[in-house]
Amino acid sequence: MPETEENLKGQLPLEEVERLVELLQESGVGEIRVRQGETEISVKARPEALAAPRPATYGVPEMVEPEPTPEMDGLHAVRSPVVGTFYRAPAPGEDSYVEVGDVVSAGQTLCIVEAMKLMNEIVADVSGEIVEVLAENAGGVEYDQPLFYLRPDEQ
Amino acid sequence: MISKVLVANRGEIALRVIRACRELGIRSVAVYSTADRDSLHHELADESVCIGPPPAASSYLNVPAIISAAELTGADAVHPGYGFLAENARFAEICERVGLTFVGPKSSTIARMGDKAEARETAVEAGVTVTPGSEGTCESAREVKRVGAEVGYPLVIKASAGGGGKGMRVVEAESEVEGAYLEASREAGANFGDGSVYVEKYLERLRHVEMQVLTDRHGTAVTFPERDCSIQRRYQKLIEESPAPGLPEDVREGMMDASERLVGSLDYEGAGTVEFVYADGEFYFIEMNTRLQVEHPVTEMISGVDIVAEQLAVASGGRLEIPSEALSPNGHAIEFRINAEDPNRNFLPQAGLVEVYNPPGGPGVRVDSHLYAGYRVSSHYDSLLAKLIVHSRDREGAIRRGLRALDEFAVSGMETTLPLHLAVLEDEEFLRGGVTTSFLAERNLESEGGLLRLNRVPA
Repeated sequence: MPETEENLKGQLPLEEVERLVELLQESGVGEIRVRQGETEISVKARPEALAAPRPATYGVPEMVEPEPTPEMDGLHAVRSPVVGTFYRAPAPGEDSYVEVGDVVSAGQTLCIVEAMKLMNEIVADVSGEIVEVLAENAGGVEYDQPLFYLRPDEQ
Repeated sequence: MISKVLVANRGEIALRVIRACRELGIRSVAVYSTADRDSLHHELADESVCIGPPPAASSYLNVPAIISAAELTGADAVHPGYGFLAENARFAEICERVGLTFVGPKSSTIARMGDKAEARETAVEAGVTVTPGSEGTCESAREVKRVGAEVGYPLVIKASAGGGGKGMRVVEAESEVEGAYLEASREAGANFGDGSVYVEKYLERLRHVEMQVLTDRHGTAVTFPERDCSIQRRYQKLIEESPAPGLPEDVREGMMDASERLVGSLDYEGAGTVEFVYADGEFYFIEMNTRLQVEHPVTEMISGVDIVAEQLAVASGGRLEIPSEALSPNGHAIEFRINAEDPNRNFLPQAGLVEVYNPPGGPGVRVDSHLYAGYRVSSHYDSLLAKLIVHSRDREGAIRRGLRALDEFAVSGMETTLPLHLAVLEDEEFLRGGVTTSFLAERNLESEGGLLRLNRVPA
């Protein structure tokens, strides 16, 4: 089970922590960190919880893709909120919204994921530097698939 | 011709469809929620797409995500299984519009039969007897009371968009109508997104008997021997068998005839089930399910027909080629639904890690399940863990085989309905056959030396 580290001043927002622990368990990511004013909460999965050995099964193929754990290097993944087609630019022939090395601010559009002719603009949820573009332009992406790695700004 | 099927479901039924696809040389695409990353359907399909977070509304009921997944993978057909989107006419219509073959009847047929009130009217038009009740839906508690005054109490209020006992309330007297109407309507709205309800006379001491039908677009329609699904708990079927024990031949023929008339009036395509209640020598149409049913393996065992493969063939535009001997029952089959529910604690849903999983084997035993040792049963979805189907030359043999197989079946890590099934198979009235849907309600479940027993509640 995840362990909780708090680096808090004043009241412990226990409810928030509980919610984050749940989110961590559901999402399977390695760490979730939130900051509000002077309060920062970081919830980290224990490494052994992530790498739980798969029990012996009758010929079940091993999972093909290992769980991504870029967060271990302090990177932040921007994930696709929908199933669809990933586009790096607003229209064919136009420049990509962002390139590796760009510094983006929270709320800035990073790409489009098209689902059923609807263009969903995906925005950065944190400010930081684009470290890697993970999905292929005009390729399909799944729900929760990491699209970009960002190195969040130091504050 | 279908070449790649997206299976818009999870659990054992997703596996069932994937298995049929593999045998037919059709590629399969699984869709899964983040709660099902370790699920067998995700692992066994040729391709898979994560479509959303654990809540079904955001994943297995998420139409845009599922349609997008079909587009991304180039699937040309969608099999909806049962539950989730299987009887969602909007979904079927969207599939039709984007050029995906929906494995099932046309969206207009689903809409018509999915609206249970309209289905009743359709049955009446086809000359099929329905239980006395409202014509169409009831817009207010007052209308329910009017039907009550006409046909008498008790009544049952049912969700027009529903099934499986959700949005369903039995009303014993007029004074209960207001509350029950509101509850049923609210529950129907929450479960099906449509709060409309209709009302029928509540028949007590009835049997639930249903006919499996299969139809192609070239005019061939077959009706299989009936299934008896009277062992239920709160309208959830627990045990199904075929043929129905002791059903008079004229009743069987009457039901077959009624099913054929109804299906014939619909321009139907694919698999479907016409459900009847049978009480005091009379039978009444209650509803039609325009999809594959949980209990379809019972029919497969006694007919030798692979219903899912036939669904796929029919959806591809093929002709049904069912040998006539498949339509008279070969022996007897019984299905037991093994649910993650604790029979000792009022069927409290269970979740957790499956530590040991040892399904039974041997002759005449089939297990349809998505379990494996190490699988984590989540609380997000329904509690069905496995279906055990036994087949033998006659009912007695099937019951003996059922006892043997249930006894062999080991699932540890959570409580299941396995001991309940063993208790049912010890019950004299069940052994005689022909019990009613109140069988379980009339009995107390008692633990004796670690074994469960059913004891009849004194009347």
